[in-house]
Amino acid sequence: MPIPTERFQRLTESLGLRVLLFLDTTRRLGAFTLITLGVVVTKAGTARQVIGPLIRAQVIGAGVRLLPIVGFIGIALGLVIIGQTLRLLSQVGQTQLIGSLFVTVLFRELAPLTAALVVLARVGTPTVVELGTSRALGDVEALEALGIDPIHYLVVPRVLGITLAVFSLSVYLLLFAVGSGWLFSFVANLAITGEDYVGQIASALRWQDFPLLALKTLSFGAVGALVACYQGLSRPLRLEEVPDAATRTVAHSVIAFLFLDAAFLVVNLLLPA
Amino acid sequence: MNASPVLELSQVSVRRAENDEVVLEDINWCVGTGEWWVLAGGHGSGKSLLLQSLAGLIPLAAGILTVFGKPFTAEGRRASGWRPQIGLVFEAGGRLLRELSVADNIALPLGYHRNCSPTQALQEILPLLQALELERLAEAPAGRIGRAWAQRAALARALALGPELLMLDNPLAGMDRYHVRWWRQFLPQLVAGHPVLGGRPLTLVVTTDDLRPWIAPGPQFAVVQNRHLKILGDQAQLEAHPVVDLGDWLQPG
Repeated sequence: MPIPTERFQRLTESLGLRVLLFLDTTRRLGAFTLITLGVVVTKAGTARQVIGPLIRAQVIGAGVRLLPIVGFIGIALGLVIIGQTLRLLSQVGQTQLIGSLFVTVLFRELAPLTAALVVLARVGTPTVVELGTSRALGDVEALEALGIDPIHYLVVPRVLGITLAVFSLSVYLLLFAVGSGWLFSFVANLAITGEDYVGQIASALRWQDFPLLALKTLSFGAVGALVACYQGLSRPLRLEEVPDAATRTVAHSVIAFLFLDAAFLVVNLLLPA
Repeated sequence: MNASPVLELSQVSVRRAENDEVVLEDINWCVGTGEWWVLAGGHGSGKSLLLQSLAGLIPLAAGILTVFGKPFTAEGRRASGWRPQIGLVFEAGGRLLRELSVADNIALPLGYHRNCSPTQALQEILPLLQALELERLAEAPAGRIGRAWAQRAALARALALGPELLMLDNPLAGMDRYHVRWWRQFLPQLVAGHPVLGGRPLTLVVTTDDLRPWIAPGPQFAVVQNRHLKILGDQAQLEAHPVVDLGDWLQPG
């Protein structure tokens, strides 16, 4: 059945508008990222006594306080992915594959993504609310009047703190997952010793996996933080606009995570096995 | 008068950032070192925007602004290096950072620009807290103190770096007599050289929507009228001016 011309036009218009909106948002976010990066570089040694405690506060809020939940998720992933798979593999005598499975599924994919999503869920909305309120109440102008760069005071500590938090939480999540996986194999009396278990994971890891994990977690953290800061500061938010801005933060961050994940996947495929 | 001007405006126009509407135009004005100016204007007349433009927060629409001898055009990007030399206190509570205490707000510019520890910065602001009678509120969260006290804390924050030029946006708006009296006593001391600034005279620009509390020997007066800044002169010249022109700012609300 042919599609009516008018309906087709509306569809293409709507699609075109969405593409343009996406490109515009990407451009603005890119500009905001470059400005923030510029401030991080040019003001690296400026006002450490003021900015340092702000970064620490962010690491505590987005990292230390989330350690219990990330630990719990790590244990659950270890039991479900490593433990259960190990049980199946031991039934077919293929326990030597557990190392490759751990590296491919947990180390490269799930740990960075899970840690980033947990941090985004916990600090994304508060960041949007805090910065949106700051903007609406004129804190940005007040800081500028004092000669304080608002990006340096409001954005840089959040970006650095959240980035470090995602990196650290990913590492902890992996440690908890490895620990709980081994605990499961021990309790279930599977045909693999602790030494074999660690040895197989170690032999499946390439040296490149470590810098790539660091890069991936740091970029996930930075992107989530930048999107939240951008949504909070891009314009003064009214109270009723906060839920929309928070939703946009999650949606834009998840889209950015997917693109970044795809890029890292390509890099992983290009690297020698 | 006007020797070594702190501010010099030549054909300056000021606009609202939101809609690019020009609210003040063709301003030619010179503020000399140690002078005290009171600018009167109604709500929405553009006096707050003028102060923010002079502080470098809003780009000029046109003209040349000279700050401490350095000229800036509407098109040229202004470096922010001179900002610590200029103190700006916003109206209606001074826009303190609500999540910080009063003392932390006042110590913030010191900690930021001199990279000193919080303890050191708090030590340095003690004379300011005493001079502005803010000691008992020092630990209070800035978001929980009254507007008049917040305005005073914002003044302390603006003075923390020892500015050469201080601009106050409608500081007496909504204040009771006690606070109005305090400001009227404290500001002349600042202009003359207060010990908290090491006895150095200060250049002061104040905006208001009610001229009456400011009429006294000392300040120079100007009014914002019909998108122009009209320079009136000192108290004698103000009083000699036809009252009908100034009625809006001399009548009880």
